Amino acid sequence: MTESARDVKRREMYAQHVLPEIAALLRVARSMTPQASDAEDLVQDTLLRAWRSLDSFDGRHPRAWLLTIMRHAEINRHRRRRPQLLDDPDVEMARQAADEQAGASAEDVVVGRMFDEIVESALAALAERFREVIMLVDVEGLTYAEAAEILGVPEGTVMSRLHRARTRIRAVLAEAGLAPRRRK
Amino acid sequence: MSGNLSMWRRMRGSAEIASCREVGQVLQSYLDGEVDELAAHRITRHLELCRRCGMESSTYAEIKASLARNGAQAVDLDAVTRLRQFGQRLVDDPPEE
Repeated sequence: MTESARDVKRREMYAQHVLPEIAALLRVARSMTPQASDAEDLVQDTLLRAWRSLDSFDGRHPRAWLLTIMRHAEINRHRRRRPQLLDDPDVEMARQAADEQAGASAEDVVVGRMFDEIVESALAALAERFREVIMLVDVEGLTYAEAAEILGVPEGTVMSRLHRARTRIRAVLAEAGLAPRRRK
Repeated sequence: MSGNLSMWRRMRGSAEIASCREVGQVLQSYLDGEVDELAAHRITRHLELCRRCGMESSTYAEIKASLARNGAQAVDLDAVTRLRQFGQRLVDDPPEE
């Protein structure tokens, strides 16, 4: 393959497999870093590393490949500090509009919102190793085996962290009266 | 219809139906699609009949759905745009290696 043909192939591979995964990478990065700006830096670092190691990528499972790169990047990364980004008020408005469109009653919306808020705060209170598995499995839809590969831990560890994390969230919901009390 | 006999069966379990204890141990893996077909079938049967385990299953399913919503909305769209531009620049004008 000539140099230019290799370049064309690399560009195609990157546009096809890497660029569409940016939002997913950012979501997972948020669970790995304390601040939004750190997450963005981490994804940027990951994009650069992905470009450089594109020749070793076989075109299969791009998300798992990218998340593995990101995990390594996070381990090696020297954190740079930047002013924290402000939350986008549009996100909340879009969510309210979606609730209204779904035709849910006001009470359903309030209870649903409360449920989500409690889940979110319970998640935030968990240690990073627990949040990571939640992001990989519940948000990105990876299997236990895929998450284990990315995190470099045994599958049983992914399972136990995930189950403990959700059990903790469930306990917080029960305290708030939004889940049945634990049975014995 | 379900009566005491089926109550006894679902508490103790059988080849066709998981026990409450088994369900308690693997419920989350079941909801994650991480148990084999036979086990999934036995758990599904149990959940159809046992109200308590059914409620437990619904609770964890709600938690999973809520986590997915939280995670999906947490993404900063401006950051995604900036990162796409960064990625596109790598494609258009690759850095020296």
